[in-house]
Amino acid sequence: MLDRVRCLMRRVWRNLKQSPVLCTAAIGTVAVALTIIAFFGIVVLNVQQVTRQWSQDIQVIAYLEQSPSASQIQAWTAKIKAMPEVEKVVFVSRDEAFRRFQKRLGPDAELLEGFGPEILPAAMEITLKPPYRNQAGVGELVGRLRQDANFSDLTYEQEWLTRFDAFIGLLKLGGVIFGGFLLFAALFIVANTIKLTLYARRDEIEIMGLVGGSSMYIKTPFLLEGALQGLVGGLLAVAGAFGLFQWLLKEGLAGFLLISGIGHILFLSLPQQLLLVAAGTALGLLGSAASLRKFVRI
Amino acid sequence: MIQICNVSMSYQKDSTALIDLTIRIPKGDFVYLTGASGAGKSTLLKLLYGAEKPTRGQILIDGQNITRLRSSRIPHLRRRIGIVFQDFKLLNSRTLFENVAFPLEVQGRKRFEISTKVYQALKHVGLHGKLHRFPLQLSGGEQQRAAIARALVGDPMILLADEPTGNLDDEVTQEIMELFKGANARGTTVILATHNRDLIRQFPRRVLLLDKGRLKEDYTP
Ligand SMILES: Nc1ncnc2c1ncn2[C@@H]1O[C@H](COP(=O)(O)OP(=O)(O)OP(=O)(O)O)[C@@H](O)[C@H]1O
Ligand SMILES: [Mg+2]
Repeated sequence: MLDRVRCLMRRVWRNLKQSPVLCTAAIGTVAVALTIIAFFGIVVLNVQQVTRQWSQDIQVIAYLEQSPSASQIQAWTAKIKAMPEVEKVVFVSRDEAFRRFQKRLGPDAELLEGFGPEILPAAMEITLKPPYRNQAGVGELVGRLRQDANFSDLTYEQEWLTRFDAFIGLLKLGGVIFGGFLLFAALFIVANTIKLTLYARRDEIEIMGLVGGSSMYIKTPFLLEGALQGLVGGLLAVAGAFGLFQWLLKEGLAGFLLISGIGHILFLSLPQQLLLVAAGTALGLLGSAASLRKFVRI
Repeated sequence: MIQICNVSMSYQKDSTALIDLTIRIPKGDFVYLTGASGAGKSTLLKLLYGAEKPTRGQILIDGQNITRLRSSRIPHLRRRIGIVFQDFKLLNSRTLFENVAFPLEVQGRKRFEISTKVYQALKHVGLHGKLHRFPLQLSGGEQQRAAIARALVGDPMILLADEPTGNLDDEVTQEIMELFKGANARGTTVILATHNRDLIRQFPRRVLLLDKGRLKEDYTP
């Protein structure tokens, strides 16, 4: 067994040594393809950060006709809180609303001179759980609230919600299509590069078959080689993506994100980096397997 | 024992390379396969080592029907057969030693065993002084002998040789025929495809004459 492994390692090493240029090309294609995917991933990741930030603003406000008593507030808060879509309920009293209004007006606050909190209604501010922060979720919640006559005066930003939904949908669709396309293109290119390395060794592959090598025996070192190349390519892609991130994205995204009130620009998390390396390995392995089918016919 | 029963083979729909061949080759026989160019000699050899399948008929080797073999069993068939190819099929990037070691390595034999056997096989063909040369540093006759050493290193039951004396001079041809006779004397069935009539005259053995894919004559001179 140990002998077999050693023999296998020798064969892989020999292959790598024999065609360093093609080997480098294979690693290079994996690295470049995955760097592009990672770059794109980082952009999506950070845009998602923004949309998550924005989605916190998705609220439903129920204006109350009269100032409720403390026990009423408690009962209503509990009732709303029990609804499945709701993350948080905050009661905003007339005084509180008036204070906020004053603050918002800033230097113009003197306009309010002579008026008291009674000009503004008290309200329940309802924040939704993240999965419901869209048009459908808001719709459901509003429907539920309307069943209670106390919450008949509801506001939410219908038009904004529609646009937000469309934007998120577009982002997801674009991500799936573009990401899928990139992965497919990467697989295609990697498979073809590996096909070149196999083509360079077609005599060896043919003779191994003719002198009684089993399909497994012939293929294993090539599969291993492909996986290894993919692994190295994946590691390089993480490094490459980090380089691009530092050099290009950080500044570019910072401008965009700071406007949106996000101070921290994300790089791929450790699991995402590992996923990238795993994707490289899988790419190399699949690429070899696909090409080998054409070269090994026993 | 090789039994070829009503075998036909065509590469394309409209042409046939072999037509209704029925041949028995007992164990330990020495047979020439002869006929004009395109008669189907190489094709018959390919059927015997499982590189092609007949379109009709059966081929049995020691009672095992190799036309029904699953592709995963073909390597086991080939380990019992030594093949000398017309174009040698030596790997130019490997030394002579490595080339001859190939069939044993593929079978996962132990390194010590491989060294001993390869050395013996090369000694047998008189090339043990050139272990570390590459094929392109050898003469045509030496390459041919290297190919024979590789075919014989695994002690095959059957030796298939396709034009093994193709463009070699008389002296080298003699040497090579001695190698085949030697292997045959040790019990290996030898099938040798050639269109060299002088060879058959010099070393008379059973002759299978193919003509446009048909067995025209089967005689022992
Ligand atoms: N791979 C192939 N595809 C299609 N036709 C083939 C193939 N190999 C051989 N043939 C055809 O099959 C017939 C027999 O060919 P084969 O190679 O067996 O002849 P041969 O007797 O070995 O000839 P030679 O003495 O020239 O080597 C020929 O007509 C040839 O054109
Ligand atoms: Mg031929």
